Amino acid sequence: MKLLEIKNLHANIGDKIILRGINLTVNAGEVHAIMGPNGSGKSTLCQVLGGRDGFEVTEGTVEFEGRNLLDMETEDRATAGLLLGFQHPVEIPGVKNIYLLKEALNAQRAARGLGELDTFVFMKQVRELVKSMQMDDAFLHRGVNAGFSGGEKKRNEILQMLLLQPKLALLDETDSGLDIDALKIVSEGINRLRGTDRGIVLVTHYQRLLSYVEPDFVHILYKGQIIKSGDKSLALQLEAEGYQDILEAAS
Amino acid sequence: MSAPLPNLPERAALPDWLRGAISQPSAAPADVQAIAQAQITTWGLPTLRDEEWRWTNLRAIMRLPAATAEHTQWQPSPLATVLPDALVIQFSAGKLKAIPENLPDGLTMTALNTAEAALRHAAFAPNAASANDALLALNTASAHDGLIIDIAANTSLTRPIVLDWQDDAGTSNHSETRVLIRIGPHSEATVIESTYATSAATHWRNAVSVIHQAANSQLTHISLGLAGAARLLTDRSFVTLLRDARYRSINIQLGGQLVRREIDVDIREPGAHCDLLGLMMPRDKQIMDTHTRVTHAAPHTTSNEQYQIIADDAGRGIFKGRILVAQDAQKIEAYQNSRNLLLSNTAEIDTKPELEIYADDVKCSHGATIGRLDDEALYYLRSRGISRTDARRLLISGFAQEIVNALPSPDLVAWMSAQMDASA
Repeated sequence: MKLLEIKNLHANIGDKIILRGINLTVNAGEVHAIMGPNGSGKSTLCQVLGGRDGFEVTEGTVEFEGRNLLDMETEDRATAGLLLGFQHPVEIPGVKNIYLLKEALNAQRAARGLGELDTFVFMKQVRELVKSMQMDDAFLHRGVNAGFSGGEKKRNEILQMLLLQPKLALLDETDSGLDIDALKIVSEGINRLRGTDRGIVLVTHYQRLLSYVEPDFVHILYKGQIIKSGDKSLALQLEAEGYQDILEAAS
Repeated sequence: MSAPLPNLPERAALPDWLRGAISQPSAAPADVQAIAQAQITTWGLPTLRDEEWRWTNLRAIMRLPAATAEHTQWQPSPLATVLPDALVIQFSAGKLKAIPENLPDGLTMTALNTAEAALRHAAFAPNAASANDALLALNTASAHDGLIIDIAANTSLTRPIVLDWQDDAGTSNHSETRVLIRIGPHSEATVIESTYATSAATHWRNAVSVIHQAANSQLTHISLGLAGAARLLTDRSFVTLLRDARYRSINIQLGGQLVRREIDVDIREPGAHCDLLGLMMPRDKQIMDTHTRVTHAAPHTTSNEQYQIIADDAGRGIFKGRILVAQDAQKIEAYQNSRNLLLSNTAEIDTKPELEIYADDVKCSHGATIGRLDDEALYYLRSRGISRTDARRLLISGFAQEIVNALPSPDLVAWMSAQMDASA
């Protein structure tokens, strides 16, 4: 079953052309990794799919479960089941994590025609997730990402994913800046998201994450286009040979 | 310090109906009233040309329509259910309903207009000194109604006192109220003033409260401005702190067409401390203004001010914080912080610290920021499926939580948060 279908996507920021014709299809049950050097368009692709202001799509289409994703508001994309894990999760000092989790979950439930979750059930579920991400309960009553370390922020992103259970998780450099312990915790979290009815897109700079979360497909993004696709061996080849050789071979 | 204006400010002459109000006897002792009558007649009402009133226009008061309504029905106090053990004293259009029976030990309450002369002298003690005090003089010249609260020494009052001001236009469109609160040595109390209107008719209440705190006493004084799009409130508090006394003011204003609060704290003896916390949320065309004046007249005294304004639509918020440290008042710590949020292009926020320091061993700091809602934060919340409206509400209440969470009971915090969400 097709979850996401990107066809010939072109996008600009101001006068700068970043995406130059991306084609990508993600089916339920698949894990895709998108790799690429700095400036290749990885983050822009994530932001365009997330619906952030400031990007102009000039050509191409994106469908999510057959719906025109580009016409949807950011919050509607999330409640439709496409969740973006941020490369740089935003610090919101005044808003407690627990409020964010509750509002977000209730928004998901409302979109599915369900009522608000019972507080007791909700808290139980959240506490279990906090424990599984090896975080402290006290974190729930701190401001969203406020004063968190890089690793804590990324664990928080995955915790939100596990609670909200998206159909498609789009993780933008979730592995960047993590030490090995945090990387293992985050990877375990991502692996728990895997499922036959779910897609995962890992956008990453490094092969390291892919040793813990094995992708079904690996794509190389370069200058706003996917120049090469393959299976997980492509990531290993990239690790062994570096971007330069692959880019030269592909061009 | 502000420079004197080049010309003598033009004063607005008193409207006839106000002239009538001051010609009647007030609850003030006759000699005190006579002075105030002469002052207010000479001074008139302040205008924008007064430095202390340059952002707050009293035009709405000058244009107050004549009252037509009959005395409004008493509504139950909104706080009575939130704080079930509170001692609630209700006022409608300034008129005292009744003093509760069976007051706790150590607490005495007296209606202002039936109090003996010495008490009334104490209630009307602060004298107007200049035209900036015109509304104080007006109050002294015409206040009939109010309350005197006396808390004996060594009394720890566990039940909060709620002064419930239902400022509906009754038989009058204007009321003048005066409250005296005296806290005995080593005593503690919480006084919550809630002001609201249930009708759409305009009513102006000009209030003065006089607070005396004896040695080592503690008062939490909360002012909650609630519903009532048309009501007007001018409210000045004079607080005097003796040795080691602690005064904590929490001033949260969500409603009203015009709200002007002035909080004057005179820290008279060593060891005393005041916290002045405030949150004003003007929207539509509301004006919400707080002027604080903290005088450190004694050494080893401290003050802390945290004020926030969240202005939406064409709302205007004003905070002016004056800190005066007298010449021999050494070892002072005085902090002031003004954090503000502008939610629309037509809203306006004016914030101004004024520090006058005549001593040399003083730690004093002030800061002021005005910002907008963080677009990144808004996007982040929306990317979790939270609607734009809900994300905005979360961010606004997140910004305001520092002040709201300072309220002394969790039930009150929850109730106030709900009021804010409803008005946001």
